[in-house]
This record gives sequence, structure tokens and C-alpha cells, in this order.
Amino acid sequence: MEFVLLQAVFLPLLLSPVAYLIGRNYGPTYATWFTFGLLLYCSVILINAALGGTYEEHYPWTTMFGEFGFMLDGLATPFAIIIYVLCTVLALYSKPYMVHKFEELFKEHYHQNATTDGQTTAVVESVALQTYVNRQSGLYFAMFLVFAMGMLGTVLSTNLIEFYIFFEVMLIPSFFLVAFYGDGNRRRIALQFLFWTHVGAVVLLLGFLAIGLSVGSFDFVDINEAAIDPDILVVSAVAIILGLGVKLAAFVFHVWLPYAHGAAPTPISALLSPAMIGIGAYGLFRLIVEFMPQTYGDISIMLNIWGVVTMFYGGAMALMQDDFKRMLAYSSISQMGYLLFAIGSFSTYGLAGAEMMYVSHGLGKGLLFMTAGVIIVQVGTRSFSKLGGLASKMPITAVCAVIGALTIMGIPPTSGFMGEWMVFYGALETAIEEGNDLRSLMFALGLIATALTMSYILWMLKRVFFGKLPENLQNVKDGSWYMLAPMMVLAGFTIVVGIYPDIFLGHIMPYMEGVMGG
Amino acid sequence: MADFFGIPVSELNVWLIWILPFAAAMIIPAVGKFSKLSTGRVAVAFALMSAISAATLFPMALEAHEIHHQVMWIDAIGLKAGVLADPLSIIMANVVGWISFLIMVYSTGYMKGDKDITRFWFWMMFFIGSMQLIILSDNLLQVFFGWEGVGLASYALISFWYRDKKKDHVGQEGRSALGVMEYFSPTHAGMKAFIMTKVGDVMMLSGMLLLFLFAGTFGFKELVSDTAWAVEMSAQGLLVPAFVLLFGGAMGKSAQFPLNEWLLEAMTGPTAVSALIHAATMVKAGVFLVARIGPIVFALAAAGILADQFFEIIAWVGAITALLLATQGMVNPEIKKVLAYSTGSQIGYMMLALGVAGLSQHYVDGYTAGFFHLISHAMFKASLFMAAGSLLHVVGSRFMTDMGGLKKQMKKTYAFMWAAGLGLMGAPFITTGFWSKDAIFAAVYEADSSWALPLFLIAVLTAVITAFYTTRMIGMVFFGKNSKHIEKMESEGNHIHEAPRSMWIPYGILAVLTIGIGLIGLSAEEGIHHLFGEYLEHSFGIYVSHEAASTEFLGGLNPVALGASLVAFATGFGLGYIFYIGRWVDPAKFVNSNIFFYSMHKLFLNRWYLNAFVYWGFVVAPLWMARGIWRYFERTAIDTGMNIGFEKAVGWSARVVQGTQTGVSQSYLYIFGAGLLFVVLILLL
Repeated sequence: MEFVLLQAVFLPLLLSPVAYLIGRNYGPTYATWFTFGLLLYCSVILINAALGGTYEEHYPWTTMFGEFGFMLDGLATPFAIIIYVLCTVLALYSKPYMVHKFEELFKEHYHQNATTDGQTTAVVESVALQTYVNRQSGLYFAMFLVFAMGMLGTVLSTNLIEFYIFFEVMLIPSFFLVAFYGDGNRRRIALQFLFWTHVGAVVLLLGFLAIGLSVGSFDFVDINEAAIDPDILVVSAVAIILGLGVKLAAFVFHVWLPYAHGAAPTPISALLSPAMIGIGAYGLFRLIVEFMPQTYGDISIMLNIWGVVTMFYGGAMALMQDDFKRMLAYSSISQMGYLLFAIGSFSTYGLAGAEMMYVSHGLGKGLLFMTAGVIIVQVGTRSFSKLGGLASKMPITAVCAVIGALTIMGIPPTSGFMGEWMVFYGALETAIEEGNDLRSLMFALGLIATALTMSYILWMLKRVFFGKLPENLQNVKDGSWYMLAPMMVLAGFTIVVGIYPDIFLGHIMPYMEGVMGG
Repeated sequence: MADFFGIPVSELNVWLIWILPFAAAMIIPAVGKFSKLSTGRVAVAFALMSAISAATLFPMALEAHEIHHQVMWIDAIGLKAGVLADPLSIIMANVVGWISFLIMVYSTGYMKGDKDITRFWFWMMFFIGSMQLIILSDNLLQVFFGWEGVGLASYALISFWYRDKKKDHVGQEGRSALGVMEYFSPTHAGMKAFIMTKVGDVMMLSGMLLLFLFAGTFGFKELVSDTAWAVEMSAQGLLVPAFVLLFGGAMGKSAQFPLNEWLLEAMTGPTAVSALIHAATMVKAGVFLVARIGPIVFALAAAGILADQFFEIIAWVGAITALLLATQGMVNPEIKKVLAYSTGSQIGYMMLALGVAGLSQHYVDGYTAGFFHLISHAMFKASLFMAAGSLLHVVGSRFMTDMGGLKKQMKKTYAFMWAAGLGLMGAPFITTGFWSKDAIFAAVYEADSSWALPLFLIAVLTAVITAFYTTRMIGMVFFGKNSKHIEKMESEGNHIHEAPRSMWIPYGILAVLTIGIGLIGLSAEEGIHHLFGEYLEHSFGIYVSHEAASTEFLGGLNPVALGASLVAFATGFGLGYIFYIGRWVDPAKFVNSNIFFYSMHKLFLNRWYLNAFVYWGFVVAPLWMARGIWRYFERTAIDTGMNIGFEKAVGWSARVVQGTQTGVSQSYLYIFGAGLLFVVLILLL
């Protein structure tokens, strides 16, 4: 097949107006299935391309920046697959959630502009509602597709400028998605989200420009550490790490995350949180670990420590939350701490484990955000203090939530464990080989942080699903199949990966060995 | 058909032992959609098939043969999955398999009519499967899968009645120690168990990873066959820490001090679950792990690498736990909790035996004693728990003070509880408990260690207490007059009756076995001793000198140990008889009679304040810290400082710039002139 990756990346962008028109003219159901079908097709060709090992496509671009290419290698494959699998299942999931949200927004909108003449009848209102929902769903799915395309493009890029463009492209639809369909003070939060991540991206761009101008090419193939002016090397490495640190929401740069992930519509939170911020980790792999192995070796211990701090900080803050989605947002910060910790481990296993962590965080946190979404739609609240005992009312959601929780906690047989043990093994390996006490301490603290993770996750399960059922929740029902089936797919996937991790490790390990051995 | 997915048919049953329960767990939810009743039948059938698969291996175990079979698992890092059926794992698999089967039969009666029965069976089968996975795995990583599996299953089953109704709580309502409530809901108890055992698991994981780092393998056989790793580790001083960390996992799962506090709250689960946790799965996993890794460490002695501290730590942890939990068992009013304390205490005995084994020249003595005690404990404790479940079922209360005088109403349970209880007490010559405990005494007494005497004294003291609390339990439940609670039930027309047949038969069988095997106890023990002797020699090269019997007389018994166990039994039983069966002295008056007894009673009842310490140190303090960071850092420095701060800074700088936009031509001209001057000056200089 030709142009596979080109299709996988650009079909969603090109067909996004079609999604808008379908939504506008035929309603959310058609738009959902169109989006789902399109993303499913793209995922299938993507996975198919990945099966054959490393796969590349190159297209001519400007002489100034170099080539426009896509590459599926051991590093990019798991990221790409997780991003598209999540996007695909979340397209289905979006339908009931977003329709619910549109109706809420309509009411808000309608009451604001309600004329006091009392002439509007129920019929007019319902027609108006229908038009509103159709229009909004068209817009939503169009932006959803662009968002998906932005994320995939970033991880497939083979050129610094291309990387940067995709990196910013994914920001635009996500900004509008939060600003249009978010909760609470959504416009302000969206702006805040855009501001912080954009500043991060610009800092990143500075690093890119420094490298590109120093090397004389922006293509990944031409970049190697030796070619970069040593004066510039450190500056650019710092710029890249800070820029990606904002994306990763590592400690101190996490300001925007709890707001953005808490306020975003849940399907988007489920993409933002596991898929998007993890791209920061992808960037660290590609740009720091692969391109600057020497510098990486020098600074890895700092990443290690930064990771542990972020793990504890996110975990401790997650304990303090009463809002379901904010708690998950803080949990994501903590999980990104694991990724940083692992990237800082400076060992093949640790790096491979970090990527497995991305995979399992994608699946596990996706599941938990989806759980939160089901509860928002079915119960109408996201405050832990108003929830409880829901396991008997929504059994399938509860089972999926528990599997998601196990994935985050790193309990076998979910994929979380496969990431976790490799991460810690990597950290220990370097600590012992270097005889570095600081690293050993970080290893021990990291393990203690897993108990913290477990505490907040189990406490969340207890407060949502167990205990006494409040009186006013007696009639709650499980979500629709649009929501449950995607969750079941992810739940199954995490267990399959947990038992048979070779699906991803088979790609990851050779790449990591190449990077660390080279 | 010579093979099945690459596994020879003759070795298939080894895999089936653990795969069958998991398979049952997978199909039970589907079966439950059609008929809830059938789920129980499926579960019992699969449990039986799994047990039979284990039994087919038995002849091989007797010949000290083993099956080791591997398949590729994670190709990318060259890890293999495998099963290892050697005498240790085969005997253990049989104990677990058959006792689990009996508990499953019992559960069909005990859980009858529960509307969440499908979930119950799912987790029970998952539990058994995980345990069998631990037993039969040939490598630590796979063991860890089972290890976390039993943790997960215990979490799910302890909080099985997740609606947190009042009747499902444990502890006395309103009771607290040092400001920490000692009254727990099922979901709280489940969380506590999961997190506390996870602390042990984390230690175990780091121990495993350390081993993997040096040995490059997780496999037990590989660890034995090439010991270069041990030399290297020992040179770096990491050998003992690594194994102690592994033992940390066993401490968590087996509820050994200081990770013992979860075990009591685990009583919120259905009693069948308690029986399974305490007799067959979960807590025995820790002992099994020590039995798995102990010989590997001991065999290193042949290579000149001594790891005495490892065994000393195991022995001391076991001894402390045995005494600590036994003392608390003396005063608790809840029947299941008394049994729970007793389990922890008895597991302490097993750890003690496995620990002192490594301190002696005759590794096999302690090893056999510990393992034999595991088997006999599995039988009588499963029986006692199931009997206690019947009592709860019939009386509807977990407090022994709500029972009393039941020996006439529940004759069968009464008889079986005596038989199993005598096993726990170690009644001389007729119970398995006596022989296994005596073997432990002998092993401790004969250990070549300066610690031998204090450990021995602790063990004997614990035996006295054990006999006492067991007598107390039986006395309080079956003797004396019916309690007010029962009288009230009777007057309301709920007649106390014997439990249904599906319930009493399983614990009857085990109670009879306790006595039956007890009668031939000495030869049974010798059989196991012989078997393990050969096993340790074949698999680990631990040579057993056959002169071991030189100090023994009276048919292979150590006179001191024998005397001690007789005295311990007589003292404990006698005291128990005085207070609770004969009821010549009122225990409440006795305790209040002087300050010493009173304060001891309070100390034991408040669990030596350990639980309170755990809560203050690991729940209250971290939450307090997190709240502090949340209020005074996240909300202020991060949220206000960075967000609002930046916003204000931008706004302020905008105003500054705005301030220069006066719109007055003169001021622009002045500034322009100043600028021009500045540029000119620079150019001139």
C-alpha cells in the first residue's frame, strides 16, 4: 500500500468538513459513525503498516526545512497505535456524552437569551434544540478529527519543523473543544491551557531552531549530537526539556493541567490526559534520548529526581480532590512523573518500561476518565461526596473502572504491571551499576510512590462505587452501549497487553537497545 | 496427540491445575447470565477437576521426581513462562486444591441466596487459580502475577459485601485505641488489606529485581544451577538484603509483624472467604514463598556463602508474630477474629521453623516441621473457620458473647470443632497439630544458634496461650447457658438448628482428618521428612546426614520438645477449662482483680496499639501533609502565584506601556530627541 501514513494522518483533516456537514445535516448519530469509521480505517491501516516493522514515507517539502516524512519505528509505533485506538473508541463514546452536554449548553444558552414574552412553545424549543445539537455535533466531530490528526502527526514526524507544526496543530482544536464544550469557567480555562502549552511549545521551537541552524538541517536523519555546536547543545537541550516539561505537566509546570483536564468535555479529557500529555514523553525520547545521548546521560539523574517529585506531588494532590475529573487530572500528573522517572533511569529496560507506561496509562486513564463521563451523564455529579455505592447500579462501568484502576496501580494481569516492573528494574539497574546512592534512594522513593498511587485510586473506587448508595441515586442506570462498549474494548486490551506484552515490547525493545547500545 | 499447544500431554495436568480455576472464573460470569444456581456447580466442578489434576501428580512426588516445562512468554526480553512440579509444589498444590474444593462445597450452602453470587464465585475461582499459579510457577515474575492476583482477589472478597451494612462490619462499634477507630466496614477492610500487602509486594518486587539484575533470570531452577550471581551479590553485600526484601513480600501476604494488621479486618468477608484466605490461599502464599527460596539460599552455603541473617530475621519475625497475635487472641470477643489472630500466630510458627531450619546443620528438620505444620494448620483451620461460619450463620452474630450453650443444639458442629480445636491446641499424640508443633519445637531447640533458647521459650509460651484461647473459644460458644441473644431468637421463633449438610460435611471431613492423620502423625511426619530430604538433596544439593536421629529417642522425638509441648498443652487447656468450661472463676472479675492483669488485658484488646500507630503514621500523617501542601502550596504558590500572578504581571506591564502612550506630541518629541542623542553618543564613542 502506498501513502499509508499520509492517509492515516491527513484523511481525518481532509474529511473533517465532511464530518461537520454530516453532523449539521443528519445529526450526531451519523456524524459519530462517520468519525468512528474514518478513524477505524486509519487505525487499521496504521496497525497494518506497523506489523511489518519500521516503516517510513518521505515526501518533498520546502528546501528550507527539508523533507516531510512519516516514520513508524519502535518508538513511534506504540504511541501511534494508542493515540488512534483511543481516538477511535472515544469517537463512539462521544456521542451520548456530547449530546448530553449539548443539551445542557442549549439550556444555558436558551435561558440566557430567553425572551420574556412567553410565546415560545415546546415544539419550537425542541426544533431549536435539534438544530443546535446537530450543528454542535458537526463542529465537535470536525475538531475531534483534527485533534486526532495533530497528535498522530506529531509522533510520526521526521523533521523538527514538521514536529513543531503538528505539535501546535493539536493545540488548536483542543483549545476550541475546551472553550466551547467545557465545564465551569471554560473560556478562561481554555485560554489558560492554550497560553501555557503554547509558551511551552515556543520554548521548544527555540530549541529546535538552535539545533536546526547549528546542524544545517531540520531532518531527524541529519541530526546528531556531534554536529551540534557544544555551546548551543546545552541551551537547546534545556529549552527542549522545559518545553516538553510543560506538555508533560511535570511538577511546577503542571499549573494548567488540573484546570484543563477537569473542565474539558470528558471524551477530550480522556484524550488530553493519557494521549496528549504523554507526547511530551515521546518528545523526550526522540529529541533527548535518541539525538543527544551524551547530554541525556548527564542530565538523566535530574529527570529521575524530577520524576519522583512529580509522582509524589501529583499523588498527594490527587488525595485531596473531591472532584472526580480533577482527581484524575492530578493522577495524570503523578503518572507523568513515572514517565519522567523512567526516562531518567538511563537504562534500556527503564526506557522500554516508560513506553509501556505510556501505553498502559493511555488505556487505564482513558478507562477512568470514561468512567467519570458515564457518571456525569448518568448521575449528574462529579463530586465524590455525593457519590457512593454505584457498583450495584452500574455494574459494567464498575468492572471497567476497576480494570482501569488496576492498570494505573500496576497490578497484573493488566498492562500497568508490565510497565512498572521494567521501569523500576531500569532504575535499579543504573543505581547498582553506577553505585549511585541518590539513584537508589530515588528507586526506593519511587516504589513508595506506588503505594500512594494505590491509596488514592482505591479510595476513589470506594467513594464512587462502594459503600452506601445515597437516597437520590436509587434510580441510576448503567450508561448506554455507546459508552460501555468502548470501555470494554479498552479493558480487554489492557489485560491482553498485560499478559502478552510482546505486542508492544517486540517493537520497543529493539529500538531501545539500539538507542542505548549505540 | 502427542502435544497440546506445545505442551506434552503428560505434563498438561501441571498447567491445568492453575489454568482450570482461571478458566472457570472466565466462564462463570457468562453462566451467571443464564442461571445463578449453576455458577456454584461450575465452580465446584472446576475446583474438583483442578484438585484431581493435582492428585495425579502425587505418585511422582513420592518418587521425588519433578516436571519442569517452559514456553516462550515475552520474546522481546527472552522471558519464559513455565511450571515446576516438584515435591514441594505438588504437596502444596494438593493441600490447596483439596481444601479449596471442600470450601467451595461449603460455600454452596453458606452463600445460598446471595444475590451477588456470580461475583462471589468469580473471585473465589480467581483466588484459587492465583494461588495455584504461585505454587506451580517456575519463576519469580510469574509468581508475582499470582501474588498480586491473590491480593486482588482478597481485596474483592474482603469487601465482598461492599454496601457496608452494619452487620458486615468487624470490631465493636465505637471502640477506639489512641483515637483510631477499631470498627471497620468491609470496603475499608478490603482497602487496608490490599494496600498493606502491597507494601510487602513492593519489597518483594525490589528483591526480585535485584536478583534479576545479578542473575539475569527469574527462574528458580536457573538460580540453583548457576550460583555465580550469588558470589557477586554477596561481594557487594546485596545478597541478604535482596532475600530479606523477598521475604518482605511474604511478611505482607502472611500477615507477619509488622505487616500483620490487615488480617483482622479481613474478617469482614464472607466466612468461606476467611477459610480460604486462612487455610489454603493468601496467607499460606508467604510461607510457600519462604519454602521456595529458603533452600536456594541455604544451598549457597555449599559455595561458602552464608546468609545466616536472612534466616535469623525470618525466625524472629515468625516468633514475634506468633506471640504477639496469640496474646491478642486471648481477649477478643469475636469468634472469627480469635481465629484470625490464631492464624497469624500459627503462620508465625511456620516462619519460625523455616527460619531456624537455615540456622541448623539439618536444614530438612526445620523445613519439614514448618511445612508439616502448614498442612496440619490448613486442615484444622479450614475446619474451624467453616464451623465458625456455621455458628455465625445460625446465630446471626459474630460475638461469642451472643452464643453460649450451643453444644446441645449443634451437636455435630460441637464435635467437629472440638476435634479441629484440639488440633490447634496440639492435643498430645492424637492430632496432627501436636506432631507438627512438636517438630517445630524440636527444630528450634536443636538449632545451632545463640538465639535457639529465647526462640524456643517464645514458641512454648505461645503454645500455652494457643491452648488457652482455643479452650476459651470452645467454652464460650458451646458451654454454659444460652446467651440472651439466643433466647431472644428462640422466643421469636427462630430455632437454633444444625447447619445444612453441604456445610457440615466439609468441615467434618477436615476435622476427622485432623484426628485421623494425627493418629499416624509420627509416621506421616517421617514420610514427609524422608521425601523432603531426598528433594533437597536432588534439587539443591543439600546433603542430609543420616545421623540426625542420634539425639532422639522415644521414636524419633526430642525429649525436651516433647515435654514442653505436653506441659504447654496441659497448662493452657487447664487454665481455659477453669475459666470457660468449668466456669469456676469469672474471667471478668479476675481481669479486674489487679492492675497488672487489667493493663495487660487492655493492651491486648487494643492490639498492642500497633493498629493505632499504623493509622497515625501512615494514614493520618500523610493526609495531614498532603492537606498542608494542598492549602499552602498548590492553592497559593501554584494556583494563585503562577496563574493569577502571571495574569496580574501582564496586566501591569500593559498598563506601564499604556502609560507611555500619552498622545501628547511634545512628550513623544522629547523622547525621540533623547533617543537620537543616545544613538549619536553611541556612534561617537
